[in-house]
Amino acid sequence: MTPKLAGPVVRSWRALPRPARIVLARVALIPPQLFGVLLVTFVLVRLLPGDPALLLLGNMATPEAVASLRQKLGLDQGVAVQFVRYLGRILHGDLGTSIFTSHPVVQDLIERAPATLELITYAMILTIVIGVGLAILAVIGRGGVADHLTRLYGMAAGALPDFWVGLLMIYFLFHIAGWAPAPFGRIDTYLTPPPTITGFYTLDSLLTGNWSDFTSSAGRLVLPVATITIVNAGGVMKMTQTAFAGIYDSPFIRHARACGLPQCRIVAMSLKNSLPPIITTAGFLFGFLLGAAVLVETIFAWGGLGQYAVQAVINSDYPALQGFVMLAAVFVLLVYLVVDVLYELVDPRIRI
Amino acid sequence: MTATLEVERLGVSFGPSGAPRQVLHDVSFRLEHNEILGIVGETGAGKSVLAHALVGLLPGDGRVTDGVVRFEGRALADMSQRERQRLRGGTISLIGTNAKALLDPVARVGTQIARVLRTHRPCPARQAWRQAVELLGQVGIVDPAARARAYPHELSGGMAQRVVIAMALITRPGIILADDATLGLDATVQVQVLDLLVQRSRMLGVSVILITHDLGIVAHYCDRVAIMRAGRIEELRPVQGFLGRPDTPYSESLLAAARARPVPAEQRHAGKADKLLVVENLLKLFQVGGTQPPVRAVDDVSFSLERGETLALVGESGSGKTTIGQCLLRLLAPTGGSVRFDGQEIAGLSEAHFRPLRRRMQMVFQEPYVALNPRWSVLDLVSEPLALLGHHSRSQRLQRVEELLEMVQLSRDLARCYPHELTAGEQKRIGIARALATEPDFVVFDEPTTALDIRVRAQIIDLIRSLQSRMGLSALFITHDLNSVRSLAHNVVVLNRGRIVERGETEAIFASPQQRYTRTLLAAELPIEWSASRRAGAATVANPVSEHSA
Repeated sequence: MTPKLAGPVVRSWRALPRPARIVLARVALIPPQLFGVLLVTFVLVRLLPGDPALLLLGNMATPEAVASLRQKLGLDQGVAVQFVRYLGRILHGDLGTSIFTSHPVVQDLIERAPATLELITYAMILTIVIGVGLAILAVIGRGGVADHLTRLYGMAAGALPDFWVGLLMIYFLFHIAGWAPAPFGRIDTYLTPPPTITGFYTLDSLLTGNWSDFTSSAGRLVLPVATITIVNAGGVMKMTQTAFAGIYDSPFIRHARACGLPQCRIVAMSLKNSLPPIITTAGFLFGFLLGAAVLVETIFAWGGLGQYAVQAVINSDYPALQGFVMLAAVFVLLVYLVVDVLYELVDPRIRI
Repeated sequence: MTATLEVERLGVSFGPSGAPRQVLHDVSFRLEHNEILGIVGETGAGKSVLAHALVGLLPGDGRVTDGVVRFEGRALADMSQRERQRLRGGTISLIGTNAKALLDPVARVGTQIARVLRTHRPCPARQAWRQAVELLGQVGIVDPAARARAYPHELSGGMAQRVVIAMALITRPGIILADDATLGLDATVQVQVLDLLVQRSRMLGVSVILITHDLGIVAHYCDRVAIMRAGRIEELRPVQGFLGRPDTPYSESLLAAARARPVPAEQRHAGKADKLLVVENLLKLFQVGGTQPPVRAVDDVSFSLERGETLALVGESGSGKTTIGQCLLRLLAPTGGSVRFDGQEIAGLSEAHFRPLRRRMQMVFQEPYVALNPRWSVLDLVSEPLALLGHHSRSQRLQRVEELLEMVQLSRDLARCYPHELTAGEQKRIGIARALATEPDFVVFDEPTTALDIRVRAQIIDLIRSLQSRMGLSALFITHDLNSVRSLAHNVVVLNRGRIVERGETEAIFASPQQRYTRTLLAAELPIEWSASRRAGAATVANPVSEHSA
């Protein structure tokens, strides 16, 4: 990844501390990646069947109106010019107008993205904690109760559809037991959502000191987060178990034991050594959930991004779909940036 | 006075309690203060199991079925979990084989040493780090302050072994248990590491158990020796007496194998000086990337080999000997220079043109197990090269495989076995049979005797010698085991860092080495005959009363 540069540049590059080199080398890749994403979304729109102007105006439009809109949208220009204009619009935060909601796509996304992000962020944290935690318990207590239970769970988790788990939870915990709050959105309807600071209701209500908003929004998160976690922690657990067990039996861990290091230290050592595959899996899962949480969002009437995207597909709402694809791509790009940086930070053997 | 370690009638079993497999039987010995005890045995004798039983860390379902292990009079079995943890690393430190695998790959070596110290003697992190750096300097690491910040993958095998020794010494334990600690290291590094370990131990008054399969090590460093076989201690005596006259036939055979002082390589029939292989100015560079200059793995090397001659390439790891062998067989493409085989230039040949020559040039690879496809039976493995000779019928192939197995002195029943079912010596023989299957003119033996038990090593040397005389084989013999060079090679080329340092007839080189590097190599040998002089050297700081009787 080191650029081939003249001697002094290389020397000052080498003089940087390793973490700085890792971050700089990886961040330098962002602009070309971003350009690629924009190019793909642009081409995607070009590939869509039908004339965007006609699509926007509907079938009853007069030819004159279509022509003037084509001119206004720049569709009568060459492809290169159109791409430059497209880039210019995006830089100004203009992703077009949703045909279905008639709002600017950017506004729709800003409203809905935090809902999904809040849901999947908490779900990810819980998934990793539970997945990794169970894996460690299973490996340490091999042949014990934890080992057998996790094996059972690992088998079941792969076979559980998320909507089914969600419905079961609603049925038992809300309908029968009445412990959980209703599966209708992110916050009780009689409460006003907290002012937007981060977009996460839980954080915003804490920051503004609104206790009732916090309990309500946190309560509403419990079931959907639990659903996503139950479905996905199994995969993380199995993967971690494989990586962790391999390390836990390795010669250097046996040597650490022979040196008298305490058990907690040995587990920490093994975990640190098994981090790379865990980081990769978690990063992949996080990017995947952005769109894949749609069934859970639907069941809990969450009003998130996945629902928005599905709606856009159903209604042939191309600007909205394009906006979603771009947002998802950028999100995945950022997640992978973090993944790559973490990956290289935890493994000193990777040369930068 | 109580011994520092006392083992009484120790028995260890593995497997289900219904049908246990007993691995140690009735093992008893005492380790006195400031004593160095050698435990010698071949693979499978139970040496490692004994080491792990002593620290209470038997692998898998292993368990102590009989007897007691006492430290300063306290039985291991009576200790609590916590006490045992304090014991490990605090009272008895284990140094294992292959140090690079014993270090945490994602922690700095200084941190790892300090971690052990702080576990046993809680102290501020900075102070622990300072002590770790100081100790690294004492175990012979140059620039210890900088090296302490290195990660294990940045160290050579010898340096990693020193770090592991530092980890063992940092808590000032009473006993050090070295389980084949120098296996796989270069002889020169092995001597340095052992000298260091023994000197520091004598200085600090630490008792050492050296577990090894190398009687040379025992002869040079130990006060007493225990011979283990099949989970029992066969003989336990002071080293001097043992070397003079062992008690059991088994010890006798071990000593005889270790002594196997060359019958020097047989003289060739003085025929016409017919050069089979001529290597001129061979060059092999490895690009390391970035702006660093390429590594000159083989740097302007020229030598030639006559028909029926065995030439040894000798040097430490990293000297380029294996690279030369691989360049000759075009497993690596040489960067420059010329290689002529039987008059034909092969250095620039395309693989398609070189392929017919492969039948005539073969290689026996270094790691027998790694070089054999684990999913193929011996029959498949040995008959694979026969494809180079053109079509054979099934029965012809089978017959040829049996001939080859007989040639390498293996039973034909092994034909149906898979590599993992064979011993290391048998795997080596299969590797040799594969190389000889095409009746080649020229064979490269890459480290044929390393990491083998003494007696197996002697057998392999005998086998190669008999093949040499029967087949008139021309061979290049790549090794750092000088002992086998004497028995096998007519001529020697000594390599250091890709360059030829010295060359000549084997006897001449051994008798009067001209270059300092060659002398260092020779001095690193630990033949059991010279033990007295070296023992004096190693024991300079020894306690004068280090000899105890059992």
